[in-house]
Amino acid sequence: MVSLDSVLLWTVAIPLVGAVISFVVSDATGRRVAALTAFLTLVISALLGLQQKAGMWHELDWQWVPALGLRFHLGVDGISYPLVLLTALLTLLCCGYSIWHTPTPGLGNHLGALLLVIEAGIIGTFLAQDLVLFFIAFEVVLLPMAAVIAVWGGEGRRRAALKFALYTLAGSVLLLVGVVSVVVQTGSGDMTQPAKLGAEAQLWIFILFAVAFAIKSPLWPLHTWLPDAHTEAPTVGSVILAGVLLKMGTYGLIRVGLGVTPDGFARAAPVLGVLAVAAIIVGSLVCLAQTELKRLIAYSSVGHMGFVLLGISTGTAIGLQAALVGNIAHGVLTGLLFFLAGAIKDRSHTGQLAELGGLRERAPWMAGVLGLAALGSLGLPGLAGFWGEAFAVVAAYSRGGPLWTTLAAVAAVGAALTAAYLLRMLRKVSHGPLAPSLATASEAHWPEVAAWAPLVFLAFLLGVVPVIVVDLAAGASLISGAAGR
Amino acid sequence: MSVMTVGLTVATIGAPLLLGLIGLLMPQRNRPDAAALGVAGAGVALGAVTALLILNEGGSQATMHWVAFGDFNVTLTTLVDQRALYVALAVAVVAFCVQVYSIAYLRDDDRYGPYAAQVSIFTAAMLTVVFSGDLIMLLVGWEVMGACSYLLIAHDRSLPEAPAAAVKAFLVTRVGDVGFLLGVIILGVKAGTFKITDVLANVSALDSGTVTLVCLLLLAGVAGKSAQFPFHTWLPDAMAGPTPISALIHAATMVAAGVYVVARLFPLFAASATALTVLGVMAGITLLLGALAATAADDIKRVLAWSTVSQLGYMMAALSVSAVDSAIFHLLTHAAFKALLFLCAGAVIHAAGSNLMSRMGGLRKGMPLTFVTMTIGLGALVGVPPLAGFWSKESIVAALSAKPWLMWAALAGVAVTAWYSTRLWMLTFFGPQRVHGHEPTIAMMMPLVLLAVPAFGLGMGVFAVRDDLVHLDAELILPLGLAGAGILLGWAMCRKRDPIAALPLGAWIGGGFGLDTVQRWIIVEPVRALARATRVADESGVDGVVMGIGRLTESAGAGLTRWHAATLPRAFAGVLAGAMLLVIAGVTVGLW
Amino acid sequence: MIWPMIIAAGTAVAVLLVDLVFPRWYAPFGVALAGAAATAVSPYLVQKGQLALLCAEADRCSYVLDDTARLVAALIAALTAFALLLYAPTLRARDAPAGEVGFLLASAMTGGVVLGGARDLITLIVALETLTLPLYALVALHRRRDGAVGAVTFFTTSIVATAVSLLGAALLQLQSGSVHLPYAMREDLAGGRPLAIAGLILLLTGFGFKVAAVPLHAWAPTTYDGAPVPVAAYLSTASKLGGVIAILFVARAAVEGDLRVTAGGTLAVLATLSLVIGTLVALRQQRTVRLLAWSSVAQAGFILAPLGGLLLSSSASLFAASLAYTLFFLALELGAFSGVVALRPTEDGGVLDDLRGVGRAAPWRAAMLSFALIGLAGLPPVLSGLFAKITVIQALLDVDSLWLALVVALISVVGLAVYWRPLAALYRGSVDDRPPVSVGPFLPLVAATIVTAVLSVVPQLTMSLWE
Repeated sequence: MVSLDSVLLWTVAIPLVGAVISFVVSDATGRRVAALTAFLTLVISALLGLQQKAGMWHELDWQWVPALGLRFHLGVDGISYPLVLLTALLTLLCCGYSIWHTPTPGLGNHLGALLLVIEAGIIGTFLAQDLVLFFIAFEVVLLPMAAVIAVWGGEGRRRAALKFALYTLAGSVLLLVGVVSVVVQTGSGDMTQPAKLGAEAQLWIFILFAVAFAIKSPLWPLHTWLPDAHTEAPTVGSVILAGVLLKMGTYGLIRVGLGVTPDGFARAAPVLGVLAVAAIIVGSLVCLAQTELKRLIAYSSVGHMGFVLLGISTGTAIGLQAALVGNIAHGVLTGLLFFLAGAIKDRSHTGQLAELGGLRERAPWMAGVLGLAALGSLGLPGLAGFWGEAFAVVAAYSRGGPLWTTLAAVAAVGAALTAAYLLRMLRKVSHGPLAPSLATASEAHWPEVAAWAPLVFLAFLLGVVPVIVVDLAAGASLISGAAGR
Repeated sequence: MSVMTVGLTVATIGAPLLLGLIGLLMPQRNRPDAAALGVAGAGVALGAVTALLILNEGGSQATMHWVAFGDFNVTLTTLVDQRALYVALAVAVVAFCVQVYSIAYLRDDDRYGPYAAQVSIFTAAMLTVVFSGDLIMLLVGWEVMGACSYLLIAHDRSLPEAPAAAVKAFLVTRVGDVGFLLGVIILGVKAGTFKITDVLANVSALDSGTVTLVCLLLLAGVAGKSAQFPFHTWLPDAMAGPTPISALIHAATMVAAGVYVVARLFPLFAASATALTVLGVMAGITLLLGALAATAADDIKRVLAWSTVSQLGYMMAALSVSAVDSAIFHLLTHAAFKALLFLCAGAVIHAAGSNLMSRMGGLRKGMPLTFVTMTIGLGALVGVPPLAGFWSKESIVAALSAKPWLMWAALAGVAVTAWYSTRLWMLTFFGPQRVHGHEPTIAMMMPLVLLAVPAFGLGMGVFAVRDDLVHLDAELILPLGLAGAGILLGWAMCRKRDPIAALPLGAWIGGGFGLDTVQRWIIVEPVRALARATRVADESGVDGVVMGIGRLTESAGAGLTRWHAATLPRAFAGVLAGAMLLVIAGVTVGLW
Repeated sequence: MIWPMIIAAGTAVAVLLVDLVFPRWYAPFGVALAGAAATAVSPYLVQKGQLALLCAEADRCSYVLDDTARLVAALIAALTAFALLLYAPTLRARDAPAGEVGFLLASAMTGGVVLGGARDLITLIVALETLTLPLYALVALHRRRDGAVGAVTFFTTSIVATAVSLLGAALLQLQSGSVHLPYAMREDLAGGRPLAIAGLILLLTGFGFKVAAVPLHAWAPTTYDGAPVPVAAYLSTASKLGGVIAILFVARAAVEGDLRVTAGGTLAVLATLSLVIGTLVALRQQRTVRLLAWSSVAQAGFILAPLGGLLLSSSASLFAASLAYTLFFLALELGAFSGVVALRPTEDGGVLDDLRGVGRAAPWRAAMLSFALIGLAGLPPVLSGLFAKITVIQALLDVDSLWLALVVALISVVGLAVYWRPLAALYRGSVDDRPPVSVGPFLPLVAATIVTAVLSVVPQLTMSLWE
């Protein structure tokens, strides 16, 4: 049986090589190279799914910088695998979409190259099993994403890009301090068998971690970089941001926060839970009063990630599995929503809900997909969104005790609010009389359909057979460990 | 459970679902195929259910692992018993009739394709609820029904109020469903499983407090779906949907799902007297409120909608006195005659070109068949023997003797029902002829005839096999008398014109006693205000701090820059002073 | 015989002579370049093995040629060569006299070569002054632009600084009776502790001038911006390296002596002030070179930060970290300045807006410049910059100096805002005319980029050089 360990390296290396190539060649060629690379990466990373077993499926562990306790240590298990696939898929869709449409004046091949670097960084984050390596991969994403926003974005793109860069960097420097403290105190950055830290150290180190990941996720009240970034970013940027970039935060909270500093996590869990529920309610309420389409979808991420974080904060197997399936579902549905929002803005040249309306009169198919995405996003059972949110509530309730019971109840109310703002959006955008801004709107073009179709399919698939994600995660040592607790 | 049964059950749910999904992907203007898919879906379901009835395997259950979160197993379980089969049959029949009826009714609609597909998906969802043996699976059907209802209410683009009505319908039910979800979760967590049979087996182990809590939470969802007070406000507005939809979703099936679920989980409710009392009060208020509102509405569909609200109240009332079979009995008869009534109303509206009864009148000449079938329907609604409604309603009223106050409410309701039914009958078919009626096409008439049969005979049929449900004795005098009185009143008042609509109060009563306004001011507006406030707080408060830090840093930089614009001598003075300061500090610290 | 010094000094003389007999710009330029190159390799090829000179006693020598000395000599010489290359376009344009420039740079190089081996305070200070003295002239020595203001500021501040450090040295010698390191830091005589502490603080503060650390930093922006960019580059690389080495030596002596805490405290204060003030002021700069100057003040803070850890521990890893960061920094700083020169070969640094659209017009040079700037900000994909930051933070956390680590971490967030503006300018808009290409500045730029790239893969090269 051939070992797939080296494949881990390829999943990170191929995008980087492709990025360099598509950066140096001409625009038109570069776009195709980028898309092809993304496709290759998807195929390669899919290979990782072979030969599954309990714990790490495949591992790669090389010495790199002993002086810094840095090892090139990659590994994949049931927690990271779905996220890696999601990243590869969304990058492919975005690169493919960019062949057809890239906002001026930026060059398409540069955009493709940056997307690939981002992909490498995100996949690296999901695969890294060494703390310092994890931090490096975590950082790799920062500047390319800022560049994507700053070059191809909307009106206020530079402000938004700088805000994104500084805000998230503020988080990751704290992550750096935390990571280095762990390495200094335990002498090892190994995440597969993390060395035991003292209780006190665990608490303050976890707080450093938590702040970093809370900013990335984002967790209320550290979320305010997100609306600006998502709103100003180009369509593909928003898709990657919401689809996978936020997942680095939740993933880190599980893998690093819970994995390396479990006691600190346990002690801070109630605070996390409360903030997560606050995020659900605040996010939904703000959406309810939101007047701009992309901003609304952006804020909806705050609410949805609130459910994911609620699941994580319970620290139970149910909660973690719910969080993981919620992660994927949010990536698929919000990715789809941002694709649609982009398509609508391309046609109407406005995102103001007041200036939109009657989309179903001009483009019934687009309106249909939008409706589906919205229904999925509001957690309609039978579509992807349901499992994560419902079982985050189950997890919170099964923790027992007045606090967690209350959190469960409030979160459930949040679900109703979610429905309220998404239906409001549908009513403003696709129902009602045809708005002048959409008077000449064309029906979905085939490249758009090609980009949406896989996501629509996944939205159904995850809704009907969530097993494909949930059972993968069950094997991961972190979750079986949580089940033991 | 035999493979046969499983296969048939799966076919019942699967066929309409699959055909519906295919229908959604079809080119929109492809009418024949869309119609074929729709009718086929309902047809297969109907056939499969009939087959199941013939096979007749009571209480058989098949289960299959779906997904496991931690140690929670969610299963795909079908639980097929007589009750489920009867309800499923009603669903399939009505769905079939509606699909056929819609072909003609939406002849000029260029989005008929998605419409038919959505009806199919709805049918599948409803059947899922009926057959599901697992609470999560039930929840799936439950919510998908709501979504389809939302989509179909918003279908009609010519009506400006349709989108709003759709959103209202979804949200009001969704608010109830928060309770439903929590109830399901508590049940599941306490029982360690979501399988209905296991959960019910586990009820005795639960403490009464939990049971009551769960029941009340579930009731919130039930009230939402079945339009029970105070969650009933969405149903009248939902009449903005196409009439066949009102017949299927908002009369015969979805709104009855609440009743069905309570019946299915009845052992749970039986364990909590409090819950049953609440249910009874809710039912009493609802059945009177609906009936009274129906007496004043001018829109024929709204009259029927209010009457649905009221009739659902009857079913709930029956449940509140543990008369489960009576409730299901009435559910079935109601499904038949109310669907019939809506389809007739559709025909009438088709002819009159308006929903308003004030624009109708004297239509019995133009459309005799519609007149006859609708008369049957109304008779059944009023409870005129030997029509279907008579039997089911009698069995409920008789059962209510356990809760006298509720029985009196029900009896009052009987009179009012008779009254508004007669009013509708008179205003539509008698009196001066305002529009020239004409019979609809065959595709629309066939379903009328088909549904008229159960509306006429279903009661007698059931009585033939279950004579314990209804006792033909002296106690019948009172309800019959009240019904008669109601009819006379209606006849007397509405012979010439409609007095109530003329009253200033008329609109208020017909609008449901202003409860919409109450709801708006107690819930909707406060939430909106809160949302606006939160947005401001979040954007200028939370984000304000962040941006504030940024500005602070910038201005600090500016200040230091100015500070560095000093001339050389002053700079040196500063430098030397700094050095000295360092030295003094260092020395003192070092010494001390 | 100590060849590196001789070659260096010889180069200076040779340049003068060649300039006399053969007054074409490239003759002295070539000689100087060759001499610098020779000096750079000589410590490893010619002068092998340990060597100690001018010894009062066995362990009290004024000059010791060890690995550190070799490294410093080679680095200074290499940086001199690069500075010459950066200057090439200006010299060809006759905007500055090649002979004088060559001579002055060679003399400065001589000082730097000696510095690495200095083991007593006097040699140290003299070497350091030799390294910087010629630069006063170089700053002003430019036909087109009036560098007078810069030169005067530089000169006068330098006098103050030298005075301060000499006073410090005197105090130390007074109380210890020795100028040799580390004995100058021991309390042998009656003078006692206060004198020692005062002396050390003054000495370090004075040396702080060379690395442009607060409070002796105010000269840097004016001087850098007034001077020709290649000279500014030399100031913020070679001369800064000299200062760092001097401070490292003194600090080590303080640890071996009894003044560890004083040294640590002083350097912690200098580091923190430089980090905060340098970064914050850099936020507001509009002129490219001024921005780089302020950022180089902040970078001095990063360099000194690990030594602040001496407050808590005498771990040698702190010195190693400081030196490692310096080496990462030298490559990046050289890249940044070379990038500016490569994009504007004969002009001054100009304002940030002058960089507008260059990203499109000259993609490769712009890319390499951005590479350096991102590295200075300490962010991937330029890993060497990130490794530099990690090294510092790890060294500090290793001795439980959490607060200094947090300062370093948080200030680098503001740092990104600093480097963001030139980066944004590079890739904003587009211009038609491509900036002129000239080979001279191109070589240092490429060299710096390559070194940075290599250090991004094998950063450990820099981490074990302190013995």
